[in-house]
Amino acid sequence: MLAAAARPDPAAADPAIAATADLTSRPRRAVLAAAASTALLAAAGCKGVGALAAPPRPAPEVALLHAAIAAEEKLIARYHAVITRSPGLAAGLRPLRAEHGRHLAELRSRLIVPPGSTAGAASSPAAARPPGPARGGGPAGPAGPAAAISFLQEAERTAAADLLRRLTAVSPSLAQLMASIAASEVTHVAALAAVRGGG
Amino acid sequence: MARTTARRQPLTAAEAAVLQAALAAEHAAVYGYGIVGAHLTGAAFTAARADWVAHQVARDTLESMLRSAGLAPVAAAVAYRPPQPVHGSATAISLAVTLENRVAAAYLDLVAAVSPGVRKLGAREVVAAAIRAASWRGRTVAFPGFPPGMLGLPKSAGSTSGRG
Repeated sequence: MLAAAARPDPAAADPAIAATADLTSRPRRAVLAAAASTALLAAAGCKGVGALAAPPRPAPEVALLHAAIAAEEKLIARYHAVITRSPGLAAGLRPLRAEHGRHLAELRSRLIVPPGSTAGAASSPAAARPPGPARGGGPAGPAGPAAAISFLQEAERTAAADLLRRLTAVSPSLAQLMASIAASEVTHVAALAAVRGGG
Repeated sequence: MARTTARRQPLTAAEAAVLQAALAAEHAAVYGYGIVGAHLTGAAFTAARADWVAHQVARDTLESMLRSAGLAPVAAAVAYRPPQPVHGSATAISLAVTLENRVAAAYLDLVAAVSPGVRKLGAREVVAAAIRAASWRGRTVAFPGFPPGMLGLPKSAGSTSGRG
């Protein structure tokens, strides 16, 4: 009964593949996504073709999708930085980061990027930045495991709140994805507390 | 706020249908947590009781919204059969996870509604169900409310801090 398009992903169904794929940008599945995504999104996303037919719901939805993608990239970069700086937390943080990788992949799959366009890349500056130790007020946040966990908790809360605030402005299908991702991120707050507690 | 907004807006037929489905899921959860709680003790029992109350509150909210729209809320069944036999704390916790998954899925349908109030109520309850489910499960999932395997992996390994 879900409004979201069912789109089984063979690659994502394999844990071994997904465990490594979460940190790398997925190949553009524009054609697949166009087939599975809503007509509104397709019309709004294909700006090259959009000139030929008036899209019923243009920029706002795409802009919000770009914002959600950028937010996930930022979260992943923060996890990368904290894991690099505090290796003792890695075992607890990697599964959560992997879930963000899947959030990101799913959000990106809703974007329709015309071949040769740089619109998709332009929206995601964090993707181009190689993950590594952040210094001096970078995405790593404060030093020290306990402070780093608090930093990630706050980032999760903010990301979830942003998604929940925006989901009345998007299509039903994207709203469902955003609500689900927000719910996942809210549960990360408690999971992070368990990581801090040595759980 | 959101509840008041939703209550004052007329419901489309589609919205009424998903609200009734969510109410049916809440009825099942209220019944199911009675079974869950009967097999738990201590902190786990306290958690089960709190979640049982949360589902009663959510049920009442849905019934109120439907009545305000002039609709008769779907009634609870006399009894519900658990998907698998419950004979101890492990199976009780498994049932709690199942109940929350079903509730989350039902509320995710509300998020597809046109009315902002219904949509926000759905999102809020998807989040609430995801929190309860993660607590019982002892780990998080990437896409609460979606059927396993529908988006990405069916499940993932989060932290291990489950109740009970």
